[in-house]
Amino acid sequence: MLNIQTRQDGTASVVSIQGKVNFEVTAQLRDVIRETVATAQPKLLVINLEGVSFIDSSGLGLLVAARNSVDKSGGRLHLCCLPPPVKKTFDQTNLTNYFSIFATEQDALRGA
Amino acid sequence: MAKGVVLVVDDEAPIRDILSFYLKRADYQVLIAGNGAEALEEMGRLRPDLIISDLRMPGMAGDELCKHVKADPATQDIYFIILSAMDGTASRVGGLALGADDMIPKPFHAQEVLAKVDSSFRLIGMQKEIRRQNRELTLFQEKVQEEMELAAALQMGLLPKLPGEAPGARYTHRYLPASGIGGDIYDVLPLPDGGTAIMIADVSGHGVSAALISAMVKTSFENQVRLGGEPLSWARGMNEDLCRSTLAEQFATAWLARLDPGEDSIRYVAAGHCAPLRIVSGARGGLHRSEVLRGTGFMLGLDPGLPFTESRAECQPGDRLVLYTDGMVEVEREDHDMLGEAGLRRLCAELPADADAAADELVSRIRAFNAPSPFVDDVTLVILDRLED
Repeated sequence: MLNIQTRQDGTASVVSIQGKVNFEVTAQLRDVIRETVATAQPKLLVINLEGVSFIDSSGLGLLVAARNSVDKSGGRLHLCCLPPPVKKTFDQTNLTNYFSIFATEQDALRGA
Repeated sequence: MAKGVVLVVDDEAPIRDILSFYLKRADYQVLIAGNGAEALEEMGRLRPDLIISDLRMPGMAGDELCKHVKADPATQDIYFIILSAMDGTASRVGGLALGADDMIPKPFHAQEVLAKVDSSFRLIGMQKEIRRQNRELTLFQEKVQEEMELAAALQMGLLPKLPGEAPGARYTHRYLPASGIGGDIYDVLPLPDGGTAIMIADVSGHGVSAALISAMVKTSFENQVRLGGEPLSWARGMNEDLCRSTLAEQFATAWLARLDPGEDSIRYVAAGHCAPLRIVSGARGGLHRSEVLRGTGFMLGLDPGLPFTESRAECQPGDRLVLYTDGMVEVEREDHDMLGEAGLRRLCAELPADADAAADELVSRIRAFNAPSPFVDDVTLVILDRLED
């Protein structure tokens, strides 16, 4: 079961995810991200992965697609708070170098 | 046309007559019988939709008839109403325990019986509709299942034929898709200049869409390799192909390599894929050390502009390569401990010389490590042995 929370921080939107991100829940997450991008049109979308215990290839695909859609609307996507197992998956697939990744949500919001 | 067929079973003629009269007037076709045995005879001629039966009758009584009807698969769907002189909850429950669908206490008003029959027929109609829909669903499901099996067979056909032979090498695979068909693919192809091209890939997601893309990955690889060249140009070409033809969320991790006879090294590009193992002298069997053929590169299909880098590693005749997809080492056990790359190296330290025996041994060791958790993702294992002269 995936728990997703969204909030606005100025012109930024923050989506916090908790749980296992696999192909069973990507539809749910896709809807939330799509709606957030469409309604808030954030300059910056921060996805906080602190509560994510596992992410599979469908989940990674979703994040890549999110980056593409944010790019297209002239915004930026920042990821933050990757737990060690998730970090490992990102390292293995070299996505660490594809996304802008931050240690804390504050850093991600500042873009520092 | 009659609304349905009702069989009235009672040893008292006046009761049969009055029920018959009301039911016929309400457009039901009525059959009559004086006891259970006669009722069964009557049912042999025409199957009723509903039976109204007295309980106490000479010959075969109502309870026995009810048990008979409800025990036979051919008649168990017939709605059974017991008419009983014994009023009160106890006998009512007793009658329903026999398998009857409803009870009407005696004495009764014919109108009450008719109302009950009408409502029973509404239920019968709904049940018939549900059964019809169930049959349709079952047929649909069978058709989907058949198509999936066909697709799975087609996909198996995309894998190299075993035993696999390449110049100076021999290989085998174990392919275990999570749900009939999956997104893993590998290939070993001869190059125009005498070398051998090797590819293993894992498409994001599962099932039919992943399987379609895996076929695309294979075709793209074949097209690249036909031109000769090296892993770096293949990776670039395949990345462009996949970016062009897949949706935003779809991509593949891949590991592409080139082996040349007479050379002591292997050239490869890692595109987000788990790094294969090189077991030094592993093709001889026994205890050997392993190395990880690591590299950094992006997955295929993310972005056409992303860079790839080619690596080179030692690879001698007698060496064994173990290629795999992440589903093999990433099964979450109850203690949340995954086998991972380090665990796989441990399990690969000592394997039989024969590649097929080694593949079976390795899969069973991994299953034992994960037990009782089964594989949940597509799993592909390829063992390629470089032959010694």
